[in-house]
Amino acid sequence: MVEVLRDKEFLVKEYLETRGLYSHHINSFNAFIDSDLKKIIQQNHAVRSDADPNFYLHFKNVSVGHPQVDDGFNVTRNVTPQECRLRDLTYCAPIYVDIEYVKSGMKYLRKGFIIGRLPIMLRSNRCCLYQKSDAELAKMKECIYDSGGYFIVKGTEKVILMQEQPAKNKILVEKDSNGVPTVQVMSSTVDKKSKTNIIFKKNLIYVCHNALEENIPFVIFMKALGVCSDQLILQMVGTEFAIMNQMYPCFLEGSKLNIYTQKQALRFIGDRIKKMGFSSEDYDSRVITEVHDFLSTVILAHIPVTNTNYHMKAIYTSIMVRRLIFSLSNPDLFDSKDYYGNKCLDLPGSFLSLLFDDTFKRFTFELKSVADKNIPKVKATPFDIIKYIRTDTITNALVFAIQTGNWSIKRFRMERHGVTQVLTRLSYLSAIGMMTRVNSQFEKSRKVSGPRSLQPSQFGMLCPSDTPEGEACGLIKNISLLAHVTTESEDDDAVLQLALNLGVEPVGLYSVDGLHEDYMYLIIFNGNIIGSTNKCIDFVDKFRRCRRKGIFSKFISIYISERHKCIYINSGDGRLCRPYLVVEKGQPLLTNAHIDDLKRGYCTFQDFIDQSLIEFIDVDEENNCLIAYNEEKIVPDTTHMEMAPFSILGICASVIPFPHHNQSPRNTYQCAMGKQAIGTIALNYQHRIDTLQYNLWYTHIPMVHSKAVPMINYDKLPAGQNATIAVMSYSGYDIEDAIILNKASVDRGFGRGGTFRNSKCFLRHYPNQMMDSIQGPIIDNATKKPIYKHRALENDGIAAIGQPVFDKQVTINKATPKTITVEDVGGDRGFKETPLYYKGYDPSYVDKVMITSNSDCFLIKENFRQPRRPEIGDKFSSRHGQKGVVGLIVDQEDMPFNEVGICPDLIMNPHGFPSRMTVGKLIELLAGKAGVLEGKFQDGSAFGGATVTDISNELQKHNYNYLGKDVLYCGIDGRPMEAYIYSGPVFYQRLKHMVADKIHARSRGPRVLLTRQPTEGRSKDGGLRMGEMERDCLIAYGASMLIIERLMLSSDVVEMDVCKLCGLFSYSGWCHMCQKSNSVCRIKMPYACKLLFQELQAMSIVPKISLKKYCD
Amino acid sequence: MRILRKPSYRMITEAETPDDAPKKALIYICGACQAENEMKPKDPIRCRECGYRIMYKKRTKRLVVFNAR
Repeated sequence: MVEVLRDKEFLVKEYLETRGLYSHHINSFNAFIDSDLKKIIQQNHAVRSDADPNFYLHFKNVSVGHPQVDDGFNVTRNVTPQECRLRDLTYCAPIYVDIEYVKSGMKYLRKGFIIGRLPIMLRSNRCCLYQKSDAELAKMKECIYDSGGYFIVKGTEKVILMQEQPAKNKILVEKDSNGVPTVQVMSSTVDKKSKTNIIFKKNLIYVCHNALEENIPFVIFMKALGVCSDQLILQMVGTEFAIMNQMYPCFLEGSKLNIYTQKQALRFIGDRIKKMGFSSEDYDSRVITEVHDFLSTVILAHIPVTNTNYHMKAIYTSIMVRRLIFSLSNPDLFDSKDYYGNKCLDLPGSFLSLLFDDTFKRFTFELKSVADKNIPKVKATPFDIIKYIRTDTITNALVFAIQTGNWSIKRFRMERHGVTQVLTRLSYLSAIGMMTRVNSQFEKSRKVSGPRSLQPSQFGMLCPSDTPEGEACGLIKNISLLAHVTTESEDDDAVLQLALNLGVEPVGLYSVDGLHEDYMYLIIFNGNIIGSTNKCIDFVDKFRRCRRKGIFSKFISIYISERHKCIYINSGDGRLCRPYLVVEKGQPLLTNAHIDDLKRGYCTFQDFIDQSLIEFIDVDEENNCLIAYNEEKIVPDTTHMEMAPFSILGICASVIPFPHHNQSPRNTYQCAMGKQAIGTIALNYQHRIDTLQYNLWYTHIPMVHSKAVPMINYDKLPAGQNATIAVMSYSGYDIEDAIILNKASVDRGFGRGGTFRNSKCFLRHYPNQMMDSIQGPIIDNATKKPIYKHRALENDGIAAIGQPVFDKQVTINKATPKTITVEDVGGDRGFKETPLYYKGYDPSYVDKVMITSNSDCFLIKENFRQPRRPEIGDKFSSRHGQKGVVGLIVDQEDMPFNEVGICPDLIMNPHGFPSRMTVGKLIELLAGKAGVLEGKFQDGSAFGGATVTDISNELQKHNYNYLGKDVLYCGIDGRPMEAYIYSGPVFYQRLKHMVADKIHARSRGPRVLLTRQPTEGRSKDGGLRMGEMERDCLIAYGASMLIIERLMLSSDVVEMDVCKLCGLFSYSGWCHMCQKSNSVCRIKMPYACKLLFQELQAMSIVPKISLKKYCD
Repeated sequence: MRILRKPSYRMITEAETPDDAPKKALIYICGACQAENEMKPKDPIRCRECGYRIMYKKRTKRLVVFNAR
């Protein structure tokens, strides 16, 4: 019998605490700064000039400093993220390089030269928050529970979302859109990306590539690679009967084209490469070199070629063809694109390194062109390249990309939009939920179910619940609690060496058809064939042991694919993996003693990884493992055991109590709604001045927790309150999910919250030495008091703090000079008013006014606080996808109560349950009630937690009904109710949708200039549209005068003169067409109609109006 | 920031200054050291004590009546 491990969830807690929930973002950024940046600069370190062979500029020793801000006059100062948020600055650090360059024939060395500024990810190892204690963070006005992993660009927090991509350098056999069997490889190296297809078309096999104008027969391609003998080609692909059958027509075609030698084949390909216009004399040799270049660097670019020795490429191609041919007869062999091992996640680090690579290349190119241009000129001062180094090339490119999310890299023809998003700070959950989000590049409009549906290989890596509804459903995913995204490993050489030591034989050693023997397994390392072995199990076993010994990175995966007869070793970045307990001989290596040590703090989670008690398994390697759900399920073959089953859920789904009792879409709804629940967004919310910030004043820790709640700190920054609910109907104002609130509860603070809104203004300097100014309030001469719209202002022209401001009142009385250009110096020195108004039906209170200066202007930010008490129409929801609006707020006197006087805060209609099947909510209520009576939080973890029997017993112990039902008395007539009422505490969230933000009405108001129709939308005080369907109703009813009133009189009626003879518009009672005035009639028509006619006339179409008396 | 108005018909004279807004309300509080700084318009915004560049306005001395409901 296997010993049962106690408190396994403690491992998860420890793991999340040591590693952090969002380490993938931060790790990848650190990897970018620590290694990628250096590599990029090393690769492009030299600038030379065509004008002077002796001139050079070398970049050496790159390093990134700490975030700084330029305070003007070349004074720099270290800066905190909070200061950047408040002052609308960019949180960025200088990139220092040592440069060696030539000036007037002499060599100079300049150390620590700044070539640009790099936006710094918060909590990365360059951030000033890195490894700071809670007290230090608090001093910097930073929330200790904040995730980090985002950037601050011009005051806004931006996240580079993880992007899902097809995995690189993998052979994928599938059918293309026309049903043609295709084998595809996306090659990707540091400086090349290419896609190679081999297709099976009309019984023949072709190689296709974008750079080729037409498909190349496979046999000819092989000949170009130097495999000229047909027999050798066949042996490379395989000598099985099925293969020989399929290859036969291919060889026939090859001989039909009369191509037998490599040179002929190269020329054949050369004729088909795009964009080749050589003159005829040296045509031959140039084509050949071009084709050699194509074969070695463009097609299958990830396979290295030395000295035009294409042997590896030939083998790789033949393996591709082999797989293609086998798949023809056995459709099971087709690969699935949606299998998660065939995907990788691009992290911010890789996005930044792509971008930095591109900008740095442009930067060096610019320097080169400057040198080319300036060196030949003879000048008094010698050419000094230092003077031409512009730091803003790199800075601006990086800042622009992060700010707009437009990633355009010309070299890879990459044009991406929406890579970054603003960090949503609606609630703590929405902010941290964003750090785990995975975006996929699929078109949202495409109606394919494959990429959207859950794939079994996503188990434990991606949250099965957390995805939006609607068009992005299944395309936006969230990674699970324990999932880890790998970053690039530095151990590739060690792995290669080890593989050779473990008996991998390089492919060259064997005759080619030996590769396809049954016992032979190819070893593929990051998409490259490194050799083969005939002792497959033994090799993999030893390799895994070495990994457990820590000879190379824990995140390097190895797995055997029987289907492909290959062993894959992967060390690349962007693979999803997950820690599991290692099981050997039917026993987990980790024991209770280890967990106790961990609890006492004698060891850390990392120690367990180092000792290989816990191992990271990626999606591919999971295929070789037998993972037990718990100790009971361990069988002799078991290799691993699950740490904690609730960890298959993501952050948002972990908050749901008893999710395993709910219908699955309900959990998905809650994942979406949890992000809209208002609560405490961060510990530093009072110091933040956001465009919009929602707050709930008196938040509770939910009575029913899951084990993951403390791990994601949802208990420290909760978003909701424990409401005592009664599941019953009341008053009829609770139909369709509406809820009834207790007025006394609202008075005591249930659901009470507020919004903070900011308004900001800049005071700019203008070229003519003028500057924006702020003027004091205008005083009414009669009353000696400020006029209404200036009533909130103090003498400095800014609203007083604590002062209520009403609609249309000025909050900053700014004035701009009438003249601003240089030409106007000495001109009109007057000002025109450009004040900032407060807009809103309800007043707000001025909470805070911040004044600061940026590099070129003053910045004033005001924060307005608006208290929000729940009112009818505000939206509430429990944690089970059960949302509803407040239908009625009832005085406590009229609410039902029980014999001890407990009165529900909220009444929910029982009709919400049968069709929704949210049994989790029923259990939450029961558990909550037991928890309240016992004075303990209850556990509602997924696939575990308290059982209904235990809870019921506990209730019984406290003399409550076993089933959680109570006798309630009617609040109106005092009689006991005829039914027992299911009642108890349930955690309720207040959602951000509030009536105060949506209320809108208008009688008369603004109109659109062009059509004179009422404007659209609440923000523009717009009208309420009477649309086609409403019109249809009125027509059907026959209310014609009402139609005229709605569509004309209340909208854009205009009186026009129309000539009844020619049917054209006349103006001022005179028809210019007929040169008459007695034929002109005055009619009413919609202005939009008049506009249409005139626009038609402008394009030489004459609409004519024929007039008739309507009584005729 | 306090902005002195240009001499115009709108200028507040000493006599006109409302009682609830005394002329001294031109003090701003440093965001880092809470020191009180007196500032004139177009002065660079910088705390005299610690050099911090974010200032907050002081709470008004006016009587503000809240509607507690």
